[in-house]
Amino acid sequence: MNMTFELSYEGKKRLVIGGVLAAIAAWIAVDAMAGGAEHWARVFVRLPLLLTGQGDGWPITGGFALNILLSIASMAVATVLGTLLGISTLAQSPYLRLPAFFIMNFLRNSPWLVLLFAMLFILPFQVEVFGLRIPFPPFVKAVIGLALPTAANLSEVVRGAVQSIHSGQWEAARALGYTTPQIYRHVILPQALRRMIPGWMNLYALLTIATALATVTGIQDVLTILNTSLAMESERVLVYFYLTTLFLFFAYCYPIAIFARRLERAVKGDNI
Amino acid sequence: MKRSEALIEIDNIHKSFGDFEVLKGISLSVNEGEAVCIIGPSGSGKSTVLRCINGLLPIDEGFIRVGNHRVHELRSEKEMRPLRHQVSMVFQQYNLFPHKTALENIMMAPIQVLGHERAEVEDRARKLLEKVRLGNKADSYPGMLSGGQQQRVAIARALAMQPEVILFDEVTAALDPETVKEVLLTIRELVDDGLTCILVTHEMKFAREVADRVCFTDRGLIVENAPPADLFDNPQDPRTREFLGQVL
Ligand SMILES: Nc1ncnc2c1ncn2[C@@H]1O[C@H](COP(=O)(O)OP(=O)(O)OP(=O)(O)O)[C@@H](O)[C@H]1O
Ligand SMILES: [Mg+2]
Repeated sequence: MNMTFELSYEGKKRLVIGGVLAAIAAWIAVDAMAGGAEHWARVFVRLPLLLTGQGDGWPITGGFALNILLSIASMAVATVLGTLLGISTLAQSPYLRLPAFFIMNFLRNSPWLVLLFAMLFILPFQVEVFGLRIPFPPFVKAVIGLALPTAANLSEVVRGAVQSIHSGQWEAARALGYTTPQIYRHVILPQALRRMIPGWMNLYALLTIATALATVTGIQDVLTILNTSLAMESERVLVYFYLTTLFLFFAYCYPIAIFARRLERAVKGDNI
Repeated sequence: MKRSEALIEIDNIHKSFGDFEVLKGISLSVNEGEAVCIIGPSGSGKSTVLRCINGLLPIDEGFIRVGNHRVHELRSEKEMRPLRHQVSMVFQQYNLFPHKTALENIMMAPIQVLGHERAEVEDRARKLLEKVRLGNKADSYPGMLSGGQQQRVAIARALAMQPEVILFDEVTAALDPETVKEVLLTIRELVDDGLTCILVTHEMKFAREVADRVCFTDRGLIVENAPPADLFDNPQDPRTREFLGQVL
């Protein structure tokens, strides 16, 4: 008798993921029995510090929460900048299009860490506008430093989405007397938006991961805390802290990436 | 025909895409209330003529006047605005805005472009939907409507601008025979109402019935321009005869 196991792609995938998870669980269990439990307990005690920047967990002054805040603020700035940049690269006028192209390509091909350092030195400590003092604390510099490359990458997403809108939409809107900015606002962007969401979410996940780089600006993010407040922990325990930090990022970003992929499939399905 | 009184006057227009000359000196005038059909083989420049009339395409050479707008002299979209108010266009692919309902599609431009009062525009839009026999589809999105229904919404959208002229570019070419009839009926009513229309069409029977004049275009030129009875029953040019022989 010939017995064969026919597994679907989904089935195989589930099998592999299950295997990996089981291996990790086994490793943790074995390690815990070999003395790792003590280290985990140490991590658990310091977890509030890692998450919020305060040993008691309140008020929130930094830690992983600051990374999230930084990612949200940067993404907000990047969304506005990226949309403007993306539309500019599609402009009729070369005076708008060419500089936009240059900026986009320059930012897309710069290492994020270098941009962050650059912001640190280029942006002043504060600026005075009409006698009003606007300070640039490290957090703001980090927001700008991370928003710039994200905006450049987002502009490609925007560009692709706008170009995917059928040219008949432009023609119909122009025939109705709309001007170009009006066409973007009322006709093109509302339709392009749905197609942008998956790419936007992917970028957000990437940006969140990159917020760890912002430690170079000196803000009290999770990595800074690991390197300063927890530096006196024993080297052995630090490994567990780093593992925990990796897991925090994974737990936050992976669901976003999954969701983005789902949406991508859903958006592909309807070709309006 | 008194040329100076024509609503639309096109004189010797030329248009090239790259090296390819699509329009090689087209002249045409259309009086107010007239329905002119343009027929001709594919690629002869019919759509291009329509696009030039409402300024969607700039011409290389020649003269176009619609009402008191000298179209060939308009440069920016902003300058085009009064012209676009006067001239509406309906496309082969309907080109409705898929993210808006039928009613919103009709209301958008009068509010956002012409700055008309919302309540008044809604009233007008609902009446137009009734007119194209889609009163019950006001809240449907274009994706939920059949091709013929979408095209009739597109006609209502064009009418909502209260134009003096409507350009129809093969508006039934993408429809199945069943729905062609309902769209043609709608257009016929507009012509009977006295709206000035220029229609590019492959529906010869329809052209014969509604048109005041039929133009036959071939390779960028208007070869023959005559009342339908003359053009269809007694074509003068051999190219017209050949074309009609193929399609009739
Ligand atoms: N934007 C463009 N760029 C380059 N060539 C074009 C463009 N638009 C039209 N053409 C060319 O110009 C010629 C005339 O096009 P047009 O659309 O006016 O033809 P038509 O008479 O409407 O044909 P059909 O009956 O197929 O719609 C065609 O050969 C077409 O390939
Ligand atoms: Mg055409």
